[in-house]
Amino acid sequence: MSSVVAVPGSVAPAAPREVSRARGIRRFKWAILAPLIALFAGVLLPVLLLQLYFSFHQWSVYLGSWWDAEWVGLDIFKEVLTDPRFGWSIIRSLAFALGSTIGCFLIGFGLAYLMHKPFRGQALYYILFIIPMLTVPIVVAYTAEMLLYDAGPINDIISRIGGVEHKVPFLTNPDFALTSVMLLEVWNWTPFSFIIMLAGFSSLPKEPIEAARILGASTWRIFWEVQLPLLRPVIFLALTLRFLEAMAEFPKIWALFQGGPGSATETIPVYIFLTTWQYFEVSKGAAMSYLVMMLMIVIVLLAIRLLRREKHAIDAMTAAASRTA
Amino acid sequence: MSKPRVSRREFIKGGVGLTVLSALPYAPRAFAQAENDRIVAAAKGIGKTDVTGMIWSNYYIPMQPSMEDFRKQTGIGVGNIQDISIFDIPQRAMAEALSRSPQFDFFHIDGGMIPSLASAGLLEPLDPYMKKANFKIDAVGDYAKLFTYKGQTYGIPTDGNVHAQYQRKDLLEDPDAQKRYADKYGKPLAMPETWDDDFNIMKFFHNPEKGLFGSANLRNRANGVTWYLMYLYAHGGFPFADDMKPTLNTPAGNRALEIYLREKAVAHPESPGWGTPQMIPQIAGGRSVACQYWDGIIKLNENPKKSKTAGKWAYSTPPSANVGGKTIVRTISSPVGALLVNKYSPRKEAAAYLALWWGTAKSANQYVADNVNTFHDAWHKSNMTNPGVEAAYTSGGLKAVGECLQVACPPIYLTGYLEFQDQLGKHLSEAYVGQRKASEVLPNVENEWAKIVKRIGTKKLQEELATYKSNMPTIDKPKMS
Amino acid sequence: MTKSQKNRIGSIVRYTLLTIWAVIVAFPLYWMVSTSFKPSEQWFAWPTVYIPDPWTIVNYLDVWTDRQEVATGQYIISAQRPWIAFGNSLMIALTATTLSVVYGAVIAYGVSRYRVLSEVRMFQLLMLRMIPPIVIVAPLSLYYSALGLLDTATGLILIYFLTTLPYSVWMLKSFIDEVPREVEQAAEILGAPRWRTLVEVVLPLVRSGIVATFLFILILTWSEYLLALLLAKTEVVTLPIELSKYQGTTEGRVYGRQAALSVGITVPLVFIGLIIRKHLARGFSFGMIRR
Repeated sequence: MSSVVAVPGSVAPAAPREVSRARGIRRFKWAILAPLIALFAGVLLPVLLLQLYFSFHQWSVYLGSWWDAEWVGLDIFKEVLTDPRFGWSIIRSLAFALGSTIGCFLIGFGLAYLMHKPFRGQALYYILFIIPMLTVPIVVAYTAEMLLYDAGPINDIISRIGGVEHKVPFLTNPDFALTSVMLLEVWNWTPFSFIIMLAGFSSLPKEPIEAARILGASTWRIFWEVQLPLLRPVIFLALTLRFLEAMAEFPKIWALFQGGPGSATETIPVYIFLTTWQYFEVSKGAAMSYLVMMLMIVIVLLAIRLLRREKHAIDAMTAAASRTA
Repeated sequence: MSKPRVSRREFIKGGVGLTVLSALPYAPRAFAQAENDRIVAAAKGIGKTDVTGMIWSNYYIPMQPSMEDFRKQTGIGVGNIQDISIFDIPQRAMAEALSRSPQFDFFHIDGGMIPSLASAGLLEPLDPYMKKANFKIDAVGDYAKLFTYKGQTYGIPTDGNVHAQYQRKDLLEDPDAQKRYADKYGKPLAMPETWDDDFNIMKFFHNPEKGLFGSANLRNRANGVTWYLMYLYAHGGFPFADDMKPTLNTPAGNRALEIYLREKAVAHPESPGWGTPQMIPQIAGGRSVACQYWDGIIKLNENPKKSKTAGKWAYSTPPSANVGGKTIVRTISSPVGALLVNKYSPRKEAAAYLALWWGTAKSANQYVADNVNTFHDAWHKSNMTNPGVEAAYTSGGLKAVGECLQVACPPIYLTGYLEFQDQLGKHLSEAYVGQRKASEVLPNVENEWAKIVKRIGTKKLQEELATYKSNMPTIDKPKMS
Repeated sequence: MTKSQKNRIGSIVRYTLLTIWAVIVAFPLYWMVSTSFKPSEQWFAWPTVYIPDPWTIVNYLDVWTDRQEVATGQYIISAQRPWIAFGNSLMIALTATTLSVVYGAVIAYGVSRYRVLSEVRMFQLLMLRMIPPIVIVAPLSLYYSALGLLDTATGLILIYFLTTLPYSVWMLKSFIDEVPREVEQAAEILGAPRWRTLVEVVLPLVRSGIVATFLFILILTWSEYLLALLLAKTEVVTLPIELSKYQGTTEGRVYGRQAALSVGITVPLVFIGLIIRKHLARGFSFGMIRR
């Protein structure tokens, strides 16, 4: 930091100095934003426009180049909206995201609660618990196949415990398949919720909890009435991020099921993938993509409203705390 | 190694010889050598070129020695490959077609993709090169037809992938079983003649408790459709009428569906999710009774280093069916590994001659006889008499392959192949796992297919239908060799 | 019940629950590692083999070295050695992550000190991350092919950079917010250029935040599958794509080799993760937690 001190100070008179400072800040702000704007204008915008073009132009890939595609107005959107497969894939995606989010959260929260106070062996458990997040999804999928196939170790353990040979069809029963990937998602991403919640617990102010304890409140009441309300914003964050990431899950489902058995695991990403890259209905895929984007934006806007409210509450609280301090 | 250039006269002589010789069943060795020289001569002017291909390494590795040979003589060889599975290449090749990309010079791909890729403008017709090198695809029966589209040749086969009947001989020959079977069905226990025989034998030996499953046919979403189409063709069915109306909900289509679904009773409980990586250990490990399966697995089965069932199998064409008073035998060829050349590539000439080179008797015998890399199956006429090939397949196996090739049908040989195929596959898979009523499958698929036809263009597909139909086998039953 | 009894029971319950989850986490990892050391006949033996007997490194040799298995005649998977994919993955993930974190820090600083983005804009930026990549990959591949970016490391780096930037900005902003402004003000009064203040004063103070963000973004870029599958072809194959080649094998399941490759993909991240595990917790709070 000594180098900063060595920089000579400016000696301009007061008023022009303020002006030049304002100008300097403006220039600095633009310099920060310029690459971001370039990225948006150069990559994202053309891609979204291209997608929009395909949503309104039927491109039959066998008949000509994409710039010759025929304008069909809202026909493609109509086709997508009346396609029951699309509806089902949305329902599956929502179910998958909801189920895995809740699973990740409950386990992550429970682990964080059990671990937020120091105890012997804490570091070891912590290390172990974050490893699943460091495992590549494709690896998770293939390892799961080794574990769950009919003659795999999980079925062996079940058979040993039950005493009779019993092979659960984790991977081939359509009633089970989506749950199987959901469990994998929970295994894979519980560390994320766990870490967030652990940070939340360790940041809880000590004073209100001590005060409640002195007043004779039970651990249970302290948890419900003091700790949980204070953790609300963190909980919202953990749930929202996880849910939105789970909506986009592709590698595990694709590597294990490719949408099957039957169509039990055909979620939105899988269906769009099939439509665009297997059927080459680029236009239909584009229209679906736009609808999915709309859906995601609605969900995200809702989440943002909640998050902002929580964030403001927290900011106000910190501000109040720092005033009293 | 330098070869003398072929003179004009020899060239013509070769051409005359070709017409004469092609009438003979198998070309003599000397002619085979001349074939290679002619390709070298035609490719000589191109000079040193490294081509890039999209090809699965399982196929590519046994093709490498003959490629190196070609490189020595012409300077043309393979520089880089994209190594992905033959089941994934169709999508990737279509993506290339969409972007008109010159990056890949050749694709080793399912021949069923020819109409789609040719329509999308990706494929270079190979006839001019074949003419210049005086080369002809010398395949068993009418197999070479499967690589033509609207009268032009777009692919050079390297893999005669056909479904053959696999039957456990040791089970058939068990005297006790023979007696019980005869008592139960009033028929001797032998290679199945009809599709019902096939199912009865599977059912008869099916014994999950002992780890023996009746059927090893695939029923997963990606592959099951190949079996359905085989059943359909085998019962005289065809997927489209002349006006491109789907004709699945027909007696033949329903019978195919019945066969498709009834085998669930004699299949491994995991079969709805199993692809070939899971099924092959079942077959070679002695845990299945019978199946119609890709013929390359014969080589695996009969290799004692890799299989517990060497010598225990009998092979033949799939069962027959009675259609309008005639007994017909059909099998399917999908995916057929064929070499296709990219029209947008600046190196297409080099790639085309390399493809022809790989289509010669000499090369084919080399990679087909490999019993370690068993992916290439016999297809060339000279394969049928080659001792190395016979050693890999056993004589019984090779005979079955030769017969199957004569009655091999293409998959849905139309533009939009993957879309037709996946719609059918999805519905079949749903019915197989019980997500959908069997009665809904065919009407629903017909509806979905009609939409695809409309989108791709009824007129365009009608024109293609002629090619598709002419690529179907013309004989009812294979001629026994 | 006395307090110490209560504590004892509490501690027993805690250890039991934690150990159950520890087993659930550890077993698949153990299975992956142990399978990678099993000889081929034990890959899918029934009854199941839990401990390799004998332990063998042949799977690693087959996958990671040039020991050509053509000679032995067993299970050929790929003509290309995964070292190339390993190198690609390393180069692409590190470059994209570095770009994302560096530029993310710059934006985060701008937001924190100069409000270059309003709060609403910040949330919109986060929204960008929440659009599933499958939604843009088709037009992106056409666009890339027009620009000549298909199948190039640059193309993948660019899109990874863009899609991870929102996380970088959000994570780093929460750290920069915590740095007291007095230090910068002092620097500014002394006339230090703003860039130098950022680089020489602020960033060193949020080192741990940068480390945590870096790891998290590295997890995302190292393991990315869909974009790598559709935007790369021959020149650039990343490790997840290399592993997915096992999906189509026709000679039966080759679990031992799959596991040997999986271990190789997993070890680098776990290694980095363990080194910097202490920094992780704070990075994930996105400013929702104040100390």
